[in-house]
Amino acid sequence: MPVDVGKFIKAPDYDIKVITYRDVFQAVACEEDYTGDECREMSAVIVLDAAEMKRMGFHEGKNVRLTSKWGSVVVMIKKSPREEQKGLGFMVNSPWSNALVSDEMLNGIPEFKDIEVKITGSNDEITSIKELFML
Amino acid sequence: MTSAMEIYQLLPKTNCKECGESTCMAFGVALLSGSRKFTECPPLMKEEKYIDSKQKLEEILKPLEGAHETGLIIHDELCSGCGNCVVACPVDVANDPHSSGRGFGPSNDKVIFRVVDGKVKAANIKECRRFGKDKILCRACIDPCPTEAIEFV
Amino acid sequence: MTEMVTWTCTGCALLCEDIQVRVDNNRIEQVEHACLKGKARIFGCKHVAVPAVNGAGVSIDDAINEAARILKGAKNPLLYGWSNSTSEAQMAGIELARTLGGVLDSTSSFCQGITINEIIKGTIPSCTLEEVREQADVMIFWGANPMSSHPRHLSRYSYFPRGELRQRGYEEDRTAISIDVWQSRTAKICKDKFYRIPPGGDAEFMRGLMDGLSGRVPKLSFDFDVKRILELAAVLKKAEFGVIFAGLGLVYSMKEDFGLLSEFMDTLNRFSNYSLIPMAGHFNMRGFNQNLYDETGYIYRVKFVDGKAASGVEFSVVEQIKHGADAVLVVGSDPLASLPASISRRLKDIPVILIDPCMNLTSQVADVTIPCSTSGIEVGGTAVRMDGKSMEISPLVQGVNMSDEMVIKRIIEEVG
Repeated sequence: MPVDVGKFIKAPDYDIKVITYRDVFQAVACEEDYTGDECREMSAVIVLDAAEMKRMGFHEGKNVRLTSKWGSVVVMIKKSPREEQKGLGFMVNSPWSNALVSDEMLNGIPEFKDIEVKITGSNDEITSIKELFML
Repeated sequence: MTSAMEIYQLLPKTNCKECGESTCMAFGVALLSGSRKFTECPPLMKEEKYIDSKQKLEEILKPLEGAHETGLIIHDELCSGCGNCVVACPVDVANDPHSSGRGFGPSNDKVIFRVVDGKVKAANIKECRRFGKDKILCRACIDPCPTEAIEFV
Repeated sequence: MTEMVTWTCTGCALLCEDIQVRVDNNRIEQVEHACLKGKARIFGCKHVAVPAVNGAGVSIDDAINEAARILKGAKNPLLYGWSNSTSEAQMAGIELARTLGGVLDSTSSFCQGITINEIIKGTIPSCTLEEVREQADVMIFWGANPMSSHPRHLSRYSYFPRGELRQRGYEEDRTAISIDVWQSRTAKICKDKFYRIPPGGDAEFMRGLMDGLSGRVPKLSFDFDVKRILELAAVLKKAEFGVIFAGLGLVYSMKEDFGLLSEFMDTLNRFSNYSLIPMAGHFNMRGFNQNLYDETGYIYRVKFVDGKAASGVEFSVVEQIKHGADAVLVVGSDPLASLPASISRRLKDIPVILIDPCMNLTSQVADVTIPCSTSGIEVGGTAVRMDGKSMEISPLVQGVNMSDEMVIKRIIEEVG
């Protein structure tokens, strides 16, 4: 039987910083129903610079796994329409970004907006809200 | 922005002339300008193979409805109801200086823009500076829109 | 009977008071002038809350009794949320915390509380949104994106409207500036006055601007065209009435060295007249800070011992949920959705009581759920706008639930 070599090669990972932002459409969808598909589809997304996507070998619409010391989520890639600063990924503030945030804080404020993660290609499904909290 | 070419690609492209136009391209241009309706293309309506194209045409032509006088289109799904256009539109400021011009919701029916149920709606299109004989290419509602929900075709 | 009602919107802390609502037989039919956020608030959530204990439906009285039993039995109860409640409900919350000898904190703890603290104590100058509309000619949206967080901010007050001293409108009379890590929807409107800085670069950029204002050449560790900083400093110097709208991007980036912000304001005020307005999110976040300050001298993060309040970072909601609280009362908030999961996971291990009109994520871990009416829609009261202005809010329709204020007063009766 031929051996599927690819199975044993770990997908490469890259260090990036996740910056979170607000989006009115996502906020409205999630306020209405956090467990709904619309909230997940609008939240479980990372926006990347086109050149950065090329460098890391990612394609728009594909899934990636983001892993920090505190959590791991699978989200979908969206290409930024503009040129962005290198080494950054942008996520709308949501339970998916919050899953990656450290429990350490400064002055009682967690680091919500500047999160160090490893990003790697993934064939896994987008993380569901139930998986996020092991409900 | 929807173009005549985009519409043409969805038509049968057989130049059968059944609609009365000499080519499918001419019919496409007429669709874009609003002078013809896609239901006036007999093959598109009759033949099964055009079902997908018909559906797509319906989708892309829908926002054009009612937009033909000035070409104003509001993409409902992109609008956040911020009201920037309401306050920035010079016609709204002139016709409702103490409300729209001052940042409040419009106080009369003479304005072009008004936010209803969280989405902007356009009325009094003939008042738009892009309309009539002294028309100018005003962009006062387009540039302040944070989500590119307003366009002119 | 159909009637048109003028309403103050509780969709965010802008509290737009010009909303027109068509109400027919106690049903909201249509809303004019409100943005998408306001519209969502007024038409309500998809899943309404029902009284429950441990997942089983109970009467409202049983739910209140169980909540009181849990809180009374707790050694260190945390009472948290409050930014989506009227000032009247917040005052009841302060009384409950005092009665229980508990910890009291609000969403402002990890949001704009740190900024509001400086303003209430007078170390950072502020102004009203009306003053902004009538007078402001230069404004900086710093780490702030109101086009998503407060959609009508630019159209109602800051940029687009004609003001008394700004008759020629935004094109000629106002300059909007965005300082951010990416081109937000607000930055797009600021066009060439958008200054892109690296994450965490706010303090350094601020020092650079202060250098520019004071006639020194700014030195930055990151790549940035110094000429653009000097140009910006010149624009800021020429302002007649300047405003900084401080967003979470700025607040989070400055949390290590918040003193620099008041230094920056002092520097600006050597040249012109500058104020700062915190971009508070929820409709009555600032009300909680003001009310608690009036009662205790602290704006947030307090613990009551023998009726007296102490404040400190150890009483912040995140520290308390991480390790501390042995029961949590959540009022009008969703900590499971808004806190780091690394911290909020602990809510599964301690008793949680949720008072809210809607089911939210925290409902999934709540031991007791007590539905209440929606503030500003089914119950009126007082709220404080982001700039500190106190506003009266009238209810639009009659709801089926009692207000959060009433629920808390009932709990006080039970535990007192």
